Amino acid sequence: MRQELTQLGGGAHALATQILGNADDAADAVHDAFETVLRRPQAYDSSKGPLKPWFLRVVRNRCLDMIRRRRPSAMPVEELVDPGTTPEEALGADQRRTAIKQALAMIPAEQREIIVLRDYLDLPYAQIADVLGVAQGTVMSRLHRSRLALKEALDNDGQ
Amino acid sequence: MVSKTQAIDEHVGELLSGYIDGELTQQQRQRVEIHCGNCGDCESELNALRALRRDVSNSRLSEYGEDVWREKMDDRTVKATRSIGWLLFLGAVLICGGVGIYEFVFDSSMGTFEKTMIGAVYGGLALLFFSVLRQRLIERKTDKYKDVEI
Repeated sequence: MRQELTQLGGGAHALATQILGNADDAADAVHDAFETVLRRPQAYDSSKGPLKPWFLRVVRNRCLDMIRRRRPSAMPVEELVDPGTTPEEALGADQRRTAIKQALAMIPAEQREIIVLRDYLDLPYAQIADVLGVAQGTVMSRLHRSRLALKEALDNDGQ
Repeated sequence: MVSKTQAIDEHVGELLSGYIDGELTQQQRQRVEIHCGNCGDCESELNALRALRRDVSNSRLSEYGEDVWREKMDDRTVKATRSIGWLLFLGAVLICGGVGIYEFVFDSSMGTFEKTMIGAVYGGLALLFFSVLRQRLIERKTDKYKDVEI
């Protein structure tokens, strides 16, 4: 289980960063999730599905707890963007990656997380529904709206 | 079966996302394909969404590698158990060593010369051991490649 969790760390951190808007807080959230899971590994029932969506749900819940505890004004979404790099400085793929990060920072956290779950972590709709605690039928429409919002943010950013 | 008129007339909207994710039924896929074959707007939106999905998938949203997580996982539980283990081990070694030295020093059945010789042998071995140990610890502390995994 430890090995599997280690492999899931990067993806979980990407998700937590998009929810919390801060890479350091996200690392704390993933660390807390590791501790929770390793303290009670029996809480995971492999007969109910793979570890990945289950662990991502634990991480997401931890992130939501952290958001509840802090003041709403303390959401430094700007930290999602690397401040040292401007689009002019970056080239080719790097430029596109920077643009994606900037555009993600412009859309709501709810939309960011579903995009990360599908397009970055490659989870099927059924597992996304499981992680987010929504009906499977909701996933496609929410994801589509989120993608359109991201596309619009990218287009606006490019102008 | 999808009516061709319906497939052409009605924009497919969120089905485009389902289509690129491979999450549609055969009937829905057919509807998207027929519609996009006749609607330039939806076809270009489909291509734009595909490109967007690829870009997000290729982006790097976390700078933390597996080694960082391995280290973080080892952080408390493993470190705590390791510390307790070392404490027990070293404590036992020190107590046993102390009792051994005490009994050796105050053993009346052995002469001073014999005690000195045996003490020199064990003392020399202990000094050699600590010298090597010290060197290894210094090397380990200053080795900048210690985290490199082969």
